[in-house]
Amino acid sequence: MKGILRIAAGHLFTAFRERVTLFWFLIFPLFLLTILTLIFGNMGQEGEISFAISVVNLESNTAGPVDFAAIVEGVFEETGTASEEGKEPLFTLTHPSDGEDLEEFLAREKEALRLGHRAAVIVIPEGFNQELLERMMRSGSSPSENGAFTIYINEGNAASEMATSIIEQILSGIDRQFLAHVGRFQEEEAIPSETLWVGSGGEELSYVDFLLPGVILMGFFVNGLFGVPGSILFARDRRVLRRYWVTPLTVPRYLAGFSLGHLTLCLIQFALIFMLARFAFRATITFAEPMPILFLLLGAITFLTFGFFIASVAKTANAGMAIANILNMPMMFLGGLFFPIGGLPTFLKVIVYANPVTYLAEGLRMSLGIQGETFSIPLTLAVPVGWIAFCIFVASKRLSWDVKR
Amino acid sequence: MEEENELMMRVTGLKKYYGEVHAVDGISFAIPRASVFTILGPNGAGKTTTLEILEGVRGPDAGEIEVFGIRLKRVTRAVKERMGVLLQDGNFEPYLKVKEVVRLFASFFKKALPTEEVLTRVALQEKTNAYVKTLSGGQLQRLAVGVALVNDPDLIFLDEPTTGLDPQARRNMWSIITDLRDQGKTIILTTHYMEEAEALSDRVCIMDYGTIIAKGSPRELTSRLGQETIIEFNTSSLETEDLTQLESYGKTAREDGGIVTVETENLVHTMEQMLAWSREREIPLTNMTVRQPNLEDVFLLLTGRRLRE
Repeated sequence: MKGILRIAAGHLFTAFRERVTLFWFLIFPLFLLTILTLIFGNMGQEGEISFAISVVNLESNTAGPVDFAAIVEGVFEETGTASEEGKEPLFTLTHPSDGEDLEEFLAREKEALRLGHRAAVIVIPEGFNQELLERMMRSGSSPSENGAFTIYINEGNAASEMATSIIEQILSGIDRQFLAHVGRFQEEEAIPSETLWVGSGGEELSYVDFLLPGVILMGFFVNGLFGVPGSILFARDRRVLRRYWVTPLTVPRYLAGFSLGHLTLCLIQFALIFMLARFAFRATITFAEPMPILFLLLGAITFLTFGFFIASVAKTANAGMAIANILNMPMMFLGGLFFPIGGLPTFLKVIVYANPVTYLAEGLRMSLGIQGETFSIPLTLAVPVGWIAFCIFVASKRLSWDVKR
Repeated sequence: MEEENELMMRVTGLKKYYGEVHAVDGISFAIPRASVFTILGPNGAGKTTTLEILEGVRGPDAGEIEVFGIRLKRVTRAVKERMGVLLQDGNFEPYLKVKEVVRLFASFFKKALPTEEVLTRVALQEKTNAYVKTLSGGQLQRLAVGVALVNDPDLIFLDEPTTGLDPQARRNMWSIITDLRDQGKTIILTTHYMEEAEALSDRVCIMDYGTIIAKGSPRELTSRLGQETIIEFNTSSLETEDLTQLESYGKTAREDGGIVTVETENLVHTMEQMLAWSREREIPLTNMTVRQPNLEDVFLLLTGRRLRE
């Protein structure tokens, strides 16, 4: 037992002292979680992201019972005000100054859009007012058919495209309000809809909650597929393992010590990712149930044994890294970590259903209540366990301490 | 019977084949306790394969090993508990500290010396907290010896312990080896340095093409050459008749790689004749030395080749 603990400690010391290892084991997953959460986690939510837009109202006639153009402008004005102090408004609006020529203002704002300083420029058309109401009453058509809004966007700008979809949703809401105003739409007759997250305990889950299990599994995956064979094969190539060979240390004891060190490293990695998600991004999932813990442990062990498998079939460290890269793509991208697997062609589904990542990702999300049950729990446990048995069998037969002569 | 009890190891009919290559071809030898036993031979002679079998790194195809009074086909874990091995080309994790390396290896054995004692034996106390990657070649080799001694072994394998070391570091290593023998340890040594083998060895076994061609103490082996004295000089312009002439002055004469070696039992007479020959033929006796025969000469006598060829 003493030898196993010393090997585990040696593995940890080496990992923490080697900058490259430290980066891939600890810094990279934290970096990935931060980047993904910052980019996608707050998209379209007021208070967390803000788009700079311009609203140009070309309608100057405010006569009549309802000033439609002013209402539309008002809605965007409202979204341009933060609902809570200290938060950014969803839109930062730019208006023409008093007496400014509208055509000149529009031209200047379109240039700002082209340069990426605006996410969109909205133009309320001339005549979008009392005349519009009369036309609507007369022809029975909708406001959008009678006076088209113009939304200028910059096609190559991601922020511009995101802002457009939000603007269209707002305009759709305005459309319903207009129809209700002229008596052609009853709110109570509308099909009720509500968007809710299906989460553990009925809690509302954020994007970071959805992302967190995937990032943790991906961290274990990279540790296992690249870190494990890298450590073993580079030690073998440098003839470090030869020295163990002439002592009473056995291969099973060495692998037990290595595994203990590796799983401790995974635990540290998990703790850091979890704390970052919890305290910096306000994740709500806790993993504090037996099933999520079981799936996390199963994931770490599965990828660890895949690492042993690679180390046992590769003749050199470089060959090991090449095999890890070959396995990396199908396992990572055909495991349901990043996109749904339902619509894939049959030949790819074969890989999906043989891939342990599929079952580990599903199982972990199911056990956390993030995802419905696609596979049964026994199946999500059995497939990774089968892979573990296979990898250990191959490693026990083929893993060599010394470079081949 | 008493003599049997004094043996640390007995090897009988040891064989190891790699396809058609007979790496080790039926060798037998015995190693007394508290002695330094040296295996000499050129590259490919079968030294490393023999050592790896005795260290338990690989099994033999045939033969028997008796060590610590136990007869074995292959070295077991229990035997490894009492052995220490310095490999020729092993390394350590560069990001571990010296003390961590010693503790790591100590943990593999049931019985181990304290880390401080191991580091004191190899004079590395001041490097206790240094990372392996910062050690010099000599310090690394001393650490490797320390690791080989961590279990206070009775039998120690040292595979080319001084290769690549500077003269001072080599002398330090010699001192460590003689101290170990004085403490009653048995040492199996391989080396490329003849003077090292002669200075340290109690017994020498010379291998060539997988077989043992000579064994005995260095004195016994060199005495095979009789009472000769060796005269050597360098030249690049010797003809066949010159060599025949030189041979007539002494017992034998050879030219190998620009070095002419003349063996004689009458040094003064041979020297007078050689000086006269040099003047007459106008061939300078560059770097001429006179010395007693060594193990290199024994190998040359037995095989017609130099050890380092």
